[in-house]
Amino acid sequence: MRVPLERKVLNENDRIAATLRERFKSHGVFCLNLISSPGSGKTSLLERTLEGFGPERRVAVLTGDIQTDNDARRLAHFGFPVRQITTGGACHLDARMVERALEGWPVEDLEILFLENVGNLVCPTSYDLGEEARAVLLSVTEGEDKPLKYPATFHHADLMVLNKIDLLPYVPFNAEVAKENARRVQPGIEILDVSCTTGEGLDRWRAWLDGHL
Amino acid sequence: MSIAAAVLETLRAEAANHGGARVARAGLRIGELSGVAPESLRFCLETLVAGSDLDPLAFDFEICPWTRRCHACAAVFRVVEWNTACSACGSLDTEAAGGDQMELMYLELEEP
Repeated sequence: MRVPLERKVLNENDRIAATLRERFKSHGVFCLNLISSPGSGKTSLLERTLEGFGPERRVAVLTGDIQTDNDARRLAHFGFPVRQITTGGACHLDARMVERALEGWPVEDLEILFLENVGNLVCPTSYDLGEEARAVLLSVTEGEDKPLKYPATFHHADLMVLNKIDLLPYVPFNAEVAKENARRVQPGIEILDVSCTTGEGLDRWRAWLDGHL
Repeated sequence: MSIAAAVLETLRAEAANHGGARVARAGLRIGELSGVAPESLRFCLETLVAGSDLDPLAFDFEICPWTRRCHACAAVFRVVEWNTACSACGSLDTEAAGGDQMELMYLELEEP
């Protein structure tokens, strides 16, 4: 006997994500899901972002890693609430992990919640976390064809942050080709050039964030 | 692997809803842009099923192409070689139409 289901495989994840999205939206919290390969600079970007915020800003970070709370410790220096999600093997965050990590947190008082995903350009793509926007980081020490190799990830991103641009003179990376590749996969993608080392472009990144509040 | 686990969790729940009937076969729809490689998913499913309460269980896969819809001429076209321009009229004004599916289409239960 054939039973039609016509149901999303990640139905349960999507259900929780929808609840989270509603919660963020009703309290005016801008939730951003940050995705990239390991080492592209997600934590560095967050460090520079938090560093530039005055204490009056209502910002918090959930940071995901397979093991260690090193990232949470790096980010806790800036005085904003930070929680580590240690996935214990899973290569991505899912909505249930985010829901659990937010238990007992004054999420309603926030203006921005950053979700730093596990460093991985594949698996996080499939998991909706209830975010309002998704940013993918690409650094110039990687290949400029990454958007073509991982089209699903770039296709689902609202913003591409091209990081480590201070290294452009030293690496054979063609930034224009990388951007063209990203736009082929996602014609509507916004792109920002930044260097977390020199601070170049971080003003535009902050303006992008503030534009979503 | 967690996606495969989610599939099996749903199949178990559905089987329980049908009086604990045995699931013999399940149909999955996977898009080219879903971020899931069908062969990897099949491998993970088979690994989890082997020796479990669901063994034996067969899977059918339907692969959905990456498609976009043209705002200028309304054509729905397949994206080939990452080219998101309309294949009918060449317009660059197109929107996502398909390819990110990751769905359970059906399951087949054994008659008791």
